[in-house]
Amino acid sequence: MPHQVAVTIRATVAPGQVPALRAWLADAARDGLAEPPFDFARLRGLHFAKFFILDDAADLDGAPIPASLVLTTEVDAPVRRHLAELVGIAGAGIDAAFGHCTGYPPAGGWSRRRVRWLRRRMVRSGAAYVNTVGRGLEQIRQEARLREALQDYLDQPGHDWPADRPVQVRADIRTYVAGRPDLGWALRPPPRPRLLWRAAELAHLIGVPLLILALSPALLAGLPVWAVLLRIAERRDGRATERPTPEHLRELASTEDFGAHNPFAVAGLIKRGWVRRLTFRAVLFLTDYAVRHVYTRANLAGVKTIHFARWVPLDGWRRMLFASNYDGSVESYNDDFIDKVWWGLNAAFGNGLGYPPTRWLFFGGARYEQEFKYSLRVHQVQVPAWYTAYPELTAQNIENNARIRDGLRGDMSPAQAQRWLGLL
Amino acid sequence: MAVTLDLDDIQGLVARGYGQLPAARFTAFTAPHPAAARALLSRLLPGITAAGPFSADSACQVAYTAAGLRRLGLPQSTVDTFAAEFVAGMAEPNRSRILGDVGGSDPGGWAWGGPQSPPIDGIVLGYAADGSTLLRRQVELREHLAATGSRVVADLDTLELADAEPFGFRDGISQPIVDGLSKSAGAGRVVAAGEFVLGYPNAYGQPTDRPLLPAPADPHRTLPRGPDGRPDLGRNGSYLVLRQLAQDVGAFRRYTEDATRRPDGSADPAARVALAAKMVGRWPSGAPLVLAPDRDDPRLAGENDFGYHHPDPLGLACPLGAHVRRMNPRDSLDPRPGTDASLDVNDRHRLLRRGRSYRTGTGETGLHFLCLAGNLARQFEFVQHTWLNNPAFHGRYDETDPLVGGHHPAGGTFTAPAHPVRRRYRDLPRFVQTRGGGYFFLPGISALRYLAALPGGDDRPSSTVTR
Repeated sequence: MPHQVAVTIRATVAPGQVPALRAWLADAARDGLAEPPFDFARLRGLHFAKFFILDDAADLDGAPIPASLVLTTEVDAPVRRHLAELVGIAGAGIDAAFGHCTGYPPAGGWSRRRVRWLRRRMVRSGAAYVNTVGRGLEQIRQEARLREALQDYLDQPGHDWPADRPVQVRADIRTYVAGRPDLGWALRPPPRPRLLWRAAELAHLIGVPLLILALSPALLAGLPVWAVLLRIAERRDGRATERPTPEHLRELASTEDFGAHNPFAVAGLIKRGWVRRLTFRAVLFLTDYAVRHVYTRANLAGVKTIHFARWVPLDGWRRMLFASNYDGSVESYNDDFIDKVWWGLNAAFGNGLGYPPTRWLFFGGARYEQEFKYSLRVHQVQVPAWYTAYPELTAQNIENNARIRDGLRGDMSPAQAQRWLGLL
Repeated sequence: MAVTLDLDDIQGLVARGYGQLPAARFTAFTAPHPAAARALLSRLLPGITAAGPFSADSACQVAYTAAGLRRLGLPQSTVDTFAAEFVAGMAEPNRSRILGDVGGSDPGGWAWGGPQSPPIDGIVLGYAADGSTLLRRQVELREHLAATGSRVVADLDTLELADAEPFGFRDGISQPIVDGLSKSAGAGRVVAAGEFVLGYPNAYGQPTDRPLLPAPADPHRTLPRGPDGRPDLGRNGSYLVLRQLAQDVGAFRRYTEDATRRPDGSADPAARVALAAKMVGRWPSGAPLVLAPDRDDPRLAGENDFGYHHPDPLGLACPLGAHVRRMNPRDSLDPRPGTDASLDVNDRHRLLRRGRSYRTGTGETGLHFLCLAGNLARQFEFVQHTWLNNPAFHGRYDETDPLVGGHHPAGGTFTAPAHPVRRRYRDLPRFVQTRGGGYFFLPGISALRYLAALPGGDDRPSSTVTR
């Protein structure tokens, strides 16, 4: 299986085109991005996709930032194939969407030119979380089918399974799977990402701590200075008093809660001063390390409802974008943030303008429940059009399916077998 | 903890469900114009029951919708500082998706409170020791309404309080113990008063957001003062959720009976009750399955001091998706199931339930579900969406609450974990439908006085001032 990549493509909307683009995206969403003109269901390894518009804004010094169209995708590698398919398979939709942007190559021209245009507008993520690293779309779909087949098998009349013989029940199930040619793959472990990629990740796993170790004298000397400067900056921050308008809330809610999961995107300015910029860079650097090597299987620091998430610095580190796909409602998502990963939210978003005040980077912030929820809603960007390859599966469902498949291999004690049967 | 609440300024329903007043009737009304709305409230005010010591033979409460607050003359800019869900209203389409009010429960078909039914300003909740006392109070209420040109929009009768709800189960056992309110404090976990009464610290130790007015808006200092000396219109108030939930008793009985027939096709009453109990999570007596897994045990009828995780992590006794385990998962869920960390998160999603059963003239039976909450989104809507109607609750796939859930159109699923393999029940019909409902605000007594004395507003008939 390939590894997963977070692709962000951002292009400046041509002057005056925002209303037309917005209307066009809403229309496209009504038909669903799985169907033509996007045909996203035919793109190989595409888990999720979102289109949204970042309205024109001004930075802290009042310099204008023009409106832009953002396309984010979560896709199985390689990116080269993905870009080619975006233009080749989804071309009609991509042409129409990015046709509202400045300088998009005229439709009907060479596809290589359009791929190059998109590639030039790709923005690097500071960090990108994958629920389970290396679990590709094909595997997710196969394992969902496996579970359904086993559930139907269990429901077939005529079974008489003794409650005290779980090992025998499991053996029966394995025999059934082995006898189904379409499920034979389930008895083998899922393929892993390519060796070369894994080697590079291993080098990163070891290299970063070595680098930090080598720099530790300087870091240790600088740390107290930085902490004091940060604390001084924090004490200057006011409370987050802005409340989202009813119109903004209605707009956001109108595209939420249709299925098992929701798309999420927030964007905002980074606070003034080099201390904040440095802090944000350092936090993203460590976040990148953590999501690549620590939170690699179905659990982001206690939150098990996130499929993908990315932190993207924009406009030369003047702004940041956070985008994710999560299970449940925005209320439950926010509550998870507050109750489980407040410290992580504070460390990253605490550097953003309008966020409730933090103390020593990690404390306060999200624990001001109402201010935090308002602040996220105020900075949340409506996602008018988005795509999911598995609208009814939660991240926990996907993980459970993988455990069912894993449990088909090897020997088990009666207690282990009973626990595995409990997954069904 | 141990916060001191201003009980004389809090409406009594927050402190008690009026168990000693078995007769009740809820009357939704609308007033023709602001002056009339205020005149009506002024007439009602002397009869409004507060939360202090109580021994009378009747009680009366009043709560308002966002439209009703506007009708009283509260400016739109102030109304917008109430909770967004309250201002939007229960029948708004985005709320309907969150609440599962779709298909047969769509507000378009509601008897009251929906887009097709007349707008509601507020609701009077009348309670009495017996039917004749209730009738006398109703006559007084009708006089007040008639004298102010106000109209009854919905008249919600309730059944005399009984031991069981229509499906045959004892209800209302698990209520949060509220700091500063509950007599039984000291036994079990105490939930912060601010979770149910505005103006006090909530479960995060912070006051929940509420309408604070600019000082000039309250020149006579009718309202309690909030932070920075601002008049606090929310203090001692609470959000009130009312929903008419029709229960299809026949369908529930048929389903559980058909699913448990013996091989020869005959009904098996004991197995039927056992399946119904699996769906509910308690036996008809109220005994929790987690303590009485195999048969009903009336000695455990009122038992509420238990957890799920340690005795039953897999749901073998009480299924993970059972109704009461969804309504109040206790220590079942992340973070760290079985610990205080799990209970702490659970405590942020509690409801103070005050519902009463009903039967209409046409034979429809069900529950006038009524609950109080300080934060509609985090408490009532969260429970409704993330716990009851969530197909993926607690690691499930495609099953909502077996008893009250809005199932997949093709029919619901219910899984009862068992050894060696689970038992799966398919094709559950929807047993409970929403027939009406609304979000209300139950103001403190001073806030009611303030609203009754508001200046201004106009005299246009009601149909033109609704937004």
